[in-house]
This record gives sequence, structure tokens and C-alpha cells, in this order.
Amino acid sequence: MKWYIIMRLAGLVPVLLGISAIAFFLVRLVPCDPAEVYLRLSQVPPTPEMVAAVRADLGLDRPLHIQYLDWLHKALQLDFGLSFATREPVLAEIMRCFPATLQLTLASMALVLLISLPAGILAALYKDGVFDQLSRVLAFLGASVPNFWLGFMLMYLFSLKLDLLPVLGRGTAAHLALPAVTLAMSYAATYTRLLRTSMLDSLGSNFVLYTRARGLRERLVLGRHVLKNALLPVVTAFGMSAGHMLAGTVIVENIFAWPGMGMLCVSSIFNRDYPVIQCYALIMALIFVACNLAVDIAYRFLDPRIRLGGGR
Amino acid sequence: MRKLKITAMAFLLCALLVFTAGCGKDKQAGDTAKAKSLTFSWSKDIGDLNPHLYSPSQFFAQAMVYEPLVKYAEGGKIEPWLAESWVISQDGKEYTFKLRKGVKFSDGSSFDARVAKKNFDAVLANAQRHKWLELINQIKETEAVDDHTLKVVFKNAYYPALQELALIRPLRFLGPAGFPDSGKTSEGIKKPIGTGPWVLSEYKKGEFAVFSRNDHYWGTKPKLEKVTVKIIPDGESRVLAFEKGEIDLIIGSGLFSIDSFNRLKSSGKYGTMISGPMSTRTLAINSNRGPTRELKVRQALQHGFNKQAVIDGVFSGTEKKADTLFSPNFPYCDLGLKPLEYSVEKAGALLDEAGWKLVAGKDVREKDGVPLELELCFESTNVIQKAVAEVMQGDLKKIGVSLKLVGEESQSHSQRQKDGKFHLVFNDTWGAPYDPHSLVSSMRVPSHADYQAQSGLPMKAEIDRKIGEVLLSTDEKTRRELYAYILGTLHEQAVYLPVSYQTNMAVYHKNVSGFSFSPQANEILLHGIEKN
Repeated sequence: MKWYIIMRLAGLVPVLLGISAIAFFLVRLVPCDPAEVYLRLSQVPPTPEMVAAVRADLGLDRPLHIQYLDWLHKALQLDFGLSFATREPVLAEIMRCFPATLQLTLASMALVLLISLPAGILAALYKDGVFDQLSRVLAFLGASVPNFWLGFMLMYLFSLKLDLLPVLGRGTAAHLALPAVTLAMSYAATYTRLLRTSMLDSLGSNFVLYTRARGLRERLVLGRHVLKNALLPVVTAFGMSAGHMLAGTVIVENIFAWPGMGMLCVSSIFNRDYPVIQCYALIMALIFVACNLAVDIAYRFLDPRIRLGGGR
Repeated sequence: MRKLKITAMAFLLCALLVFTAGCGKDKQAGDTAKAKSLTFSWSKDIGDLNPHLYSPSQFFAQAMVYEPLVKYAEGGKIEPWLAESWVISQDGKEYTFKLRKGVKFSDGSSFDARVAKKNFDAVLANAQRHKWLELINQIKETEAVDDHTLKVVFKNAYYPALQELALIRPLRFLGPAGFPDSGKTSEGIKKPIGTGPWVLSEYKKGEFAVFSRNDHYWGTKPKLEKVTVKIIPDGESRVLAFEKGEIDLIIGSGLFSIDSFNRLKSSGKYGTMISGPMSTRTLAINSNRGPTRELKVRQALQHGFNKQAVIDGVFSGTEKKADTLFSPNFPYCDLGLKPLEYSVEKAGALLDEAGWKLVAGKDVREKDGVPLELELCFESTNVIQKAVAEVMQGDLKKIGVSLKLVGEESQSHSQRQKDGKFHLVFNDTWGAPYDPHSLVSSMRVPSHADYQAQSGLPMKAEIDRKIGEVLLSTDEKTRRELYAYILGTLHEQAVYLPVSYQTNMAVYHKNVSGFSFSPQANEILLHGIEKN
């Protein structure tokens, strides 16, 4: 297991190098010069002299490969340069926003589990019953309702009409409720159905028949044998979703004025803030790879066959 | 199983925490409801408030903290502010300002000619960044004659000097303690210390900024004690926050939709206000590309577009129909130019005269087998531009013109303006206090849509020459004549299709009173506001 983790971590190096190069060159394919964008944001007419001056200020007047190597050299020392828009260190900007996004994602993940675990289990146990039908409808709704619409509806109902929660912003825990629910709903719907299917597969297996033949209590059969096996695909999907949720807060953060990475990402794209976009892409890649690794490791604990089959 | 139970319990507790906490009342909303404290929202962070630089600092926030030598008032009138009076030399090259006595910065230090000169010098040391502003290019030197006399010497007589000294940036005054050790404000400032009525007292980047009343303020102090600016990027969320009472005021034409404004207005629960013309929503027609090279085609487009339908249908009457590039209430712009009124017949006749004929069985006119197809470029995220473009597409179809709508995100759209790759493009004027002199000046710069649109005019060189003359003219009569030529020629040549005069909109709760609009488009007047 130790070697496995070391090898996987070593594999991170070429992945991150590749991502850094792709992010660096891809953002430069987008039309518009960041120097001009900066001037337009300042409501300053971009004359050629002004553009040249700002380009020199931002270091964009050097050959592309030099810019990349310079950026890479500094990035290895965790210096991601200065934001074009704010002239603040990029890492500081990211670190300012990351806790908010992490808080939102963790709260959403907790909600996803809180909703999907009992709902999935009950839907499987009472297959085709009222609860199963209800969870099916909710799953369809959760998966098909767009985030932004749900966000506004929740705001309208819980903040404006019922006056229970603040509309937007970050401050107290009350501010977290609506964005977390908005972000969690589509994932909760998916996992409810996934767990239900997985539970039904397990319930129909021979090993479940055998455990029942052994006379084990139903709670033990369900908890120790059925659920443990049924959780395997859910863990995989959940691990992948953690990255998606962290990277997918863009719309929710903008609607709820949640000052996280999503808001930073959107403004950076509009501002053509290359250093922030590059750092954001790199961190997101790192998170995705880390989530995959965590899932693989969790899998090895949950499913002994994987340990015996291939891993060292 | 036990582990599973523990994990489940942990998640359950976590989620419960979120929800039980969520059921509490919003403390912040309660705070903002206090009298003498006002909350409004803005779409972007206020920035570092460096008075001598630009983005990310927001105009309104800079204007709250820093003040100019002179102030831009209604109709372009220049009024004394930090300078009580001024004398302009006979040749128009020397301005001697008598500075107001007793003015203090928010840290208690005095504002005098030496500090003023220090600020001028800091801006001039970074002149490269301010090249767009002719004022900075024209300043030769400054001199602190005595404690309260500042002399500014210009290279040439430059008539808009006072208008540009009134701008929100880059020539407002930072207190000495705000300067970095190097003295170069281009590298940043230590602290935003100004002479203005407000002081930044609390700030959380990307979330909110709190401004408190400046106790050292020399003028009439604001009635409010505290102003909180919440950063809310989304317009509809902003409206919901307003309805909930989390914000007291929404101001700014781009900060909420016209539909929302009308809904809030018709509810009768809130106060609403619309400003006079601030700038012009206009389309530039390219005189150097395809069919719009022809004057008659450009004129036909003007006659073929029903602006009143746009005013009624898109703007619900919140903006007024524009007949000229600049509203007549702007300086030198009341020229009595004849509007190119909506007339399908006239538009058709002009196209016929130009040789663009309707062929039997076809909807689109042709000339030598080439169909009359034009491209109108707009910002895809700008719902108003899109709506105006769609109305125009329908109108022009009636006169046999096929209008293709090209929607792009804002920066690509700007690039297209600069490259001149358009037949028609949205290109608003800059608004007060830049109009007309700054916009007219920029018409000479090739990277502007205005230049590109005018580049096919036979008299373009003459227009540019007259623009150069008007900016350096010291004689009022000559200046009027020059503006009459420039604006009159552009009107005759139909390179601009003015749609509407843009206004600023505000909506506020009924316990807010004393609100008014600033004559400057980018300034928010909070001075007279009271909250009951």
C-alpha cells in the first residue's frame, strides 16, 4: 500500500506539469490581450502606447516560452505571481477564497450523504413502494432542475417569503444553508438512485442468501453485508464528485455572493487574469487527482479482492 | 457496522448544525437596519482605493474618499471644490489655484499646496499610464507658490483642463501618510487617506466594505454615519436582497434589469428614481466596410430603425429616444441637428437610389447580384444590446436588409470594435464629464470603434484636424464653431445611429430620503441621504 501511494504521488508530477502547460498555453489562445482588458476595466481607452506599457508591466512583452519557464520556475517555489487585475499575490488570492469554497463543499457533501444514504437504503428496501416512487420523482427533479433556478427559488421561499434565512453573503452559519442545499440537491438525487440500485444488486446476491441461511439477524445482513458492498460504487462516484463540487461552485457562489473560488474564477476569466486562471487550474487538477487517489485507497480498504488481486 | 454508524452520526451532526444555525435570524441584516447607516451593493470589490490608479478600484469608492480641485456640476459647469478660486493666464497655459483653507485629511493632517504638488508629481511620474488623458500629457510642471496657492503650468492651452481635473481619477489627493516610502503611488499606497466625506473603516475583500463619516471633513458632514457596500455579483440576487431588506438602495443602470426596476416601481412599496441623460447608447456604422461604405445605405439604416418601439418595448420608457450622438444638455452639443426620423418609405427610397433593389421573389435587396447583408455585433451577455439588436433585425427586414446578429463575450466584442470588423456595432458614449471632449479626442485613435467607423469618410483627415484644434482652442466662439463642424459632419455622414440616452436608475426603501444623482456617471451621491 505504501508503495502504491508513493507511485501514485510520483505520477502526479507529469500530470501537474502537463496541466500547467495546457492551462498556460490554452488561456493564451483566448482572443483579447489582458493588457487591453485591464485598460477597458479601468475605463481607459486602450491606445497602442498604453497597451504596450501595461504589457511590459504585466511581463507579457517577453517570448511565450520564456514566460512559461519563468512562471514554472516560480510556481515550483509556490510563487504564482501577481494577479493582473488586483496586483495581489495569486496564492494569497486563492487562499483567501479557498476556505469559503471548502466550507460550502463540505457542507454540501454532508447534506448529500444525509439525504442520499437513508433515501437510497429505504428506496431499495421498499422497492416500488410509495417511498421508492417518491425518491424517484425527487431524483428526477434533483437531477434536472438547474442550480441557478433552484437557488433563486430557495432564496425566494426561505428568505423572502418565510424570512428564515439571509438571502446571500457569508458570515454566520445561516448564510451557508441555502447555497449548500442548492449545490447538494443534484448530487443527492444521483446518489439516492445509485445506492438504491447498488443495494438491490447486493440484496439479490448469493452471499446475502447465504447470510440469511446462516440465520443472521436482518439488521446485521443489511448493515454488515449488503450496505458495505453496495457502498463501493457510491464511494467511487462520491470521491469523483468531491472534485466536481469544489470546482462546480461557480454558479452557486455567484448567485449567493459566496466569496469563494467560483467567484474568483469567473472574474479572472472575464478579466483575462492569466496568473489566477493558471493557478486555479493547477489547484483543481491537484484536487481531482487527490480525490481519485483517496477513492482508490478507500476502495482497497472496502474491497479485499483489490488488495489480493493487484496491489502491493 | 459500528464505524459506519459513527461516520453517519458525524455527518448527521454536521448537517444538523448547518440547519439549526440556519434557522436563526440574520444578525447582519439587523445591524444594517439601524438608522444612520445605509447598505447598498456593488457588483465588484471596491479595490485598493489608490486615487492615482485605475482598476480594480471602483470609481464610486474613490469618489467617496478623495476629492478634486474643482467639481463637475450639472450641464458641465465647473465649480470650486478643494480650490476656492483660480486664475487662468492670458495665453491659457498657467492655472493658479487658491486652495481652500482648513481642509484636513481623514487622519487629521492638513491639505495644502505642498501635498497637492506631491500628488501631482506622483501622477506625473507615472505619466505613461495616464497617456489616454490629454490633461496629463499637457501638464509641464507644478509649483507650490505658498501654503495655499498651487500653480499648474501647461505645455499648450488646453481648454478641458478643468473638466479633467474634476475626474474621479487619477488627479485626486492622497494624504502624506498614505504614500508609500518610495513616494511612488504607482507601486501602491499604504492606506486610503483622503479629504472626502467618508473613510474606509472596515473591509473584507470580495465581501463588503464599510465607510464611516470623516470627522475631519471640511464641508457639510454627511447625515449618515456609516455606509456599507456589499459585493453581490448577480443582479437578480441583488434585487431579492433588496426586497428582503438586506440592502437599502440599488443604484446603477447595469446593476439590475429594467424588468426588476419596473416590478419594484409598480409594487408601490419602494422609492424609485431615473436620472437625466448620462450618456448615449449608440451604434457605430462602419463607413469603411461593405455596403455601409455608402452614405445612402447608412442613412437608410437610420430611417429604417424604429427607435421609439425600442424605447417603449425594451426600455419601458426608462430611457429617452436619442436623435444625436450627444444629448443636447452636454456642453457644445445643443446644435439643433435635424433628426433622421423613422420612415420605412424614405429608407426604401434611399436604398433604391443607392442601387440596392428588391428582386421579385426575394426578401433581401441586391446590387449586382450581391445581397444586402450586414452584421450587427453585440455583447452576448448584454441582454439590452441583444434585445435592441433583435428589434433592429426585424425593422431592417421590412426594408429588405438582412441583419446578422453576432453576439460575443465582452472582450472579444471589444476586439472586434478595435479591428473594425463590423458593419454595425454597439458603441456607447463615455458620459459626463468625458463627453464630448474626451470621446471626440479618442476618435483620432485607430484602436477605437469610432475611428474605425469614420475611417471611410472622405473628410476624416479634416475631422481629426478640427478635433486637434478644438482641444487647444482658447476662444469660446471658435470652439463652438469647431464642435458644430465636427458633430454636424458626423451627423450628416450618418456614421452613428443614436438609440437612446442612457439613464441611471435607483430604487430605495421608503425610509431612505434625500437621494439624488450625481452629474458624473460614475459617482454615487450619499451626502444628502437620510434614513428614518
